[in-house]
Amino acid sequence: MSLKMKRRKFIKSTAASLLGLPLALNGMNLSPIRKSALLDALNPDSDRVLVLVQLIGGNDGLNMLVPLDYYDTLANVRPNVILPENSLESIGFDLAFHPVMTGARSLFDNAKMGIVQGVAYPDQNRSHFRSTDIWTSASPADQDWTTGWLGRKLDMEHSTYPVDYPNSENPDPLAIAMGTSVSLTCQGEVGNYSMTLTDPFNLGQLAAGGDDFIPEGLYGDQLEFVRLTIEQTNAYSERIVDIANQGTNTVDYPETNLAQQLKTIALMLSGGSQTRIFVAKIGGFDTHASQVVEGDTSVGSHAELLLELSDAIQAFQSDIEGLGLSERVLGLTFSEFGRRIRSNDSFGTDHGTAAPLMIFGDCVNAGVFGDNAEILPDVGTGDGVAMQFDFRDIYGTILQDWFELEESTVKELIHEDYIHLPILQDCSDDPVNTSTVLDLDMDLSLFPNPARDYVYAEFRSEDERVALTVFDAEGRLMEQVMDRSLTAGSHRIRIDISTYPPGNYFVRIVTKGLRQKAKVFVKV
Amino acid sequence: MNRRSALKTMFGQQNSAPAAAEAAPRPVNVGLEPFSGSWTKEQAAHLLRRTMYGPNFQQINQAADAGLEATLDLLFADTGLPDPPVNYFFEDDPNVPVGETWVDAVYINGVNLTGYRNQSLYVWFTDQVIKEQVSIREKMLLFWHNHFVVSDIGDPKFLYVYLSTLRQYSLGNFREFVKAITVDPAMLRYLNGNQNTKNAPNENYARELLELFTIGKGPLAGPGDYTNYTEGDILEIAKVLTGWIDRAYFTIDPAFSVESKYLNGRHDQTVKTLSERFNNASIAPNGEDEYKDLIDIIFDQDEVSRFICRKLYRYFVYYLIDEDIETNVIEPMAQILRDNDYEIEPALRALLSSEHFYHELNKGVMIRNPLDFLAGATKSLGLNITDEFYPRFRMLRLYWFILEPLQMLPFFLPSVAGWPAYYQEPSYHRIWINSVTLPIRQQVTDAIAFTGFVQEGVLNDIDPLGLIGGLSNPYDPNVLIQDLALVLFPNGVTDNQVAFLKEILIYGLPDFEWTTEYAEHIANPDDVALMNSVSQKVRGLLRAMMNLSEFYLS
Repeated sequence: MSLKMKRRKFIKSTAASLLGLPLALNGMNLSPIRKSALLDALNPDSDRVLVLVQLIGGNDGLNMLVPLDYYDTLANVRPNVILPENSLESIGFDLAFHPVMTGARSLFDNAKMGIVQGVAYPDQNRSHFRSTDIWTSASPADQDWTTGWLGRKLDMEHSTYPVDYPNSENPDPLAIAMGTSVSLTCQGEVGNYSMTLTDPFNLGQLAAGGDDFIPEGLYGDQLEFVRLTIEQTNAYSERIVDIANQGTNTVDYPETNLAQQLKTIALMLSGGSQTRIFVAKIGGFDTHASQVVEGDTSVGSHAELLLELSDAIQAFQSDIEGLGLSERVLGLTFSEFGRRIRSNDSFGTDHGTAAPLMIFGDCVNAGVFGDNAEILPDVGTGDGVAMQFDFRDIYGTILQDWFELEESTVKELIHEDYIHLPILQDCSDDPVNTSTVLDLDMDLSLFPNPARDYVYAEFRSEDERVALTVFDAEGRLMEQVMDRSLTAGSHRIRIDISTYPPGNYFVRIVTKGLRQKAKVFVKV
Repeated sequence: MNRRSALKTMFGQQNSAPAAAEAAPRPVNVGLEPFSGSWTKEQAAHLLRRTMYGPNFQQINQAADAGLEATLDLLFADTGLPDPPVNYFFEDDPNVPVGETWVDAVYINGVNLTGYRNQSLYVWFTDQVIKEQVSIREKMLLFWHNHFVVSDIGDPKFLYVYLSTLRQYSLGNFREFVKAITVDPAMLRYLNGNQNTKNAPNENYARELLELFTIGKGPLAGPGDYTNYTEGDILEIAKVLTGWIDRAYFTIDPAFSVESKYLNGRHDQTVKTLSERFNNASIAPNGEDEYKDLIDIIFDQDEVSRFICRKLYRYFVYYLIDEDIETNVIEPMAQILRDNDYEIEPALRALLSSEHFYHELNKGVMIRNPLDFLAGATKSLGLNITDEFYPRFRMLRLYWFILEPLQMLPFFLPSVAGWPAYYQEPSYHRIWINSVTLPIRQQVTDAIAFTGFVQEGVLNDIDPLGLIGGLSNPYDPNVLIQDLALVLFPNGVTDNQVAFLKEILIYGLPDFEWTTEYAEHIANPDDVALMNSVSQKVRGLLRAMMNLSEFYLS
């Protein structure tokens, strides 16, 4: 099995040019009308739309995108769930989709999809609820934030919401969550921006009347909340029914729940909805048991979910292309965590760490970002896939490139060490899959390896700030060794590992735009 | 204020409620000391609203007359286990005639017995809620179902056993409750305890036992260390719990009944050692009693008492627990729980008879959950559900169906953490109210007020004239509305709202016209036209009242 590292070349983002005067609102820098150079080629009148597809339960990324270069090792550590080797067809990059995912495959082959490998966050939390909170709020793992990442963006742009909404400039819900519950990604300081929607043709008007003054205090707050929700529902419903009646779809969708959600989203967009954030959901990914059928690992609950996901996004992409909207729409999947590398004896997999994330649409920088998950023969039972990319950098890039927020604003909304990723491109560029998108070449090496008591990390840097952190194989943050400015040249940093239990550890260095990780084995 | 803290304030990036709630005052320094104010019908209504489904005017007044202690005695009285669910309609089950129970009956190859049995179980669950008088039992059942979640269990016989466990312990000993639920057959299936063996430990139940059922997750104190327990504890506890299986899932063999069973060969026989969070306790191999040793060790941690008291507080009082409430309510309540060896009733009773519970700032601040809304409207208005066997089943099944789009379908919870309304910051129970659920809530209350529900040719309807006939003075439209507001709203109505509601009742005529019309009707009870006229006006009033946002609060 080859352990070759893919060398990737970093394409500098052209989005860095900052035009327009920042507008101070709520103490935040905001320039709502700025057009970045990257996206100048877009129709200036168009409103860009983000469609989130939440995979609830923790998706087994290793079963969705199989790293073929580690197939043999993988077959040893997850023998009862691994897909048959002859069912796996390479898409390049030593990767293969689950064989049911022909729809996703066609998006990928047509250069409408970017796959980001190893997405997680430092210090993985393996509770569904906490980790979902972290992914939806974009908080650090050790902090509880009560607002969602898109909710904060909307808070900044709509500081008086929900008072006097809808209005002539914002006639539609600022976000729509398909199904029956609002999305935590859209939780703002005062309220949630997402309106729930199941059937856009069947929305009546709620009776109202008899409302009197709102008393002071919490009782009054709750009363006001119910009243406002009733008023808003009425106002938005009227628009939604109109829009749905004007909308159309150009393809047949599967009869699955997710496909029908995406169908409604396409319908709303074609009907002229000005909603720019949509959240669709598909549950069932918590595959502790029976993720595959005993005796045939190519079928089972996970295969069914992947089929539903893959067919749905293919139909959706094809529809919005048919509708002429595809340059306005970007799709992104996410799940609260990946699953363990080793399978369990119940033909399933337990809560893990990182997983690949799919981003799709006309304007993605198509291809694969990052390396295949590294599967070691001696992988521990608790080990998940190591993190390569922080999900917050993907969110931040979408806010910066797609929704055109200033980088400084993105840092305030997401996190101050946010790093832009080249995952989007000018929609009019020829779509080609590329493997040469990231230069990991900081020449990071660790020695001695295996190590005991201490290990040296050697690497090159420019004149820049460098952060160096150590994680254990389960994705837990061991320590931040340094985070400071270095001068250009080679550096050697001594890391004290004398207190670490024996096992595999990952050393990760991050600079502005570059990151690299390397593994060290700590022996007894 | 520096930038970071300004941002934190702006973004709520701390353990805080939304800005609106933060601005609103909570009771300060008002704790668990016994309520000493005067016991009025408003206080009685508050207690009943929070502890039972849909108290009516008579029940509120009786509670006001009886006093707090006597009302609590009634609420906590042991009502025993209900009769088991029966076959309502299915004629092809050779072992279970219509009208008989199926809870011990086997399955048969080639005959779908699950459909009727599941429907029966759901209807039976709903029926207990509808039939209940003044008692806290059904709300406790829902509390525990939301706490010890099992979901998506296919065999209703398992759910029946599970529900019986919840009912048996609902006001009993919390520690013994945790022991019982740990080896409950449905729980063993739901959280994969039945797949947890010495060679292949499955940590699913172990994790939830700590995180959701007993001690809760504290702040992250280090790698894998959640203050109250560690990731290592989960692995060790999973080993303690190895060896248990459930039996008779969908069995066709009459020799087997639903049970859990300990298999020594699947049990990890090593000594398990917990972290310093449990004082490095070691658990010696003890076969089928080993899990009890473990639970005793968990319960040695005082945090268990605080954890469950906070959850009870969120369910019965309000979701926000600030430092003051932690000190003045949660801590003393947890002390009572520990002093009583984890018996739930004394601690809960102390909460429900405290100054804190009756504080004005705690009234009307809860958004009613869908079941409380549906059953509350039904019972407060006295909707008469037929006693005819099959039509009653159909009516209650309709109610069950309504709960799904209202987003609170028992036995189908969204996750092991329960309904997000009880834990999800910052919205909590506001999650119940959205553009999908609001129209359905209104359709339900409109139907209850105006049309009733026809099922199998039988009308289930309110009796508007009977309802107002039971009020203190139905001749006076002002008193009529105030009496109904006592039943339907947590904090009454304003003068403007009374005026608005009178518009609906008597179309802007002077008050005496209502008095005259109503007196006419009483004097001429056989005048159908007059009766209908008065009745329709009351229905319109009830509909308008239930459409007010005040009705959504408790």
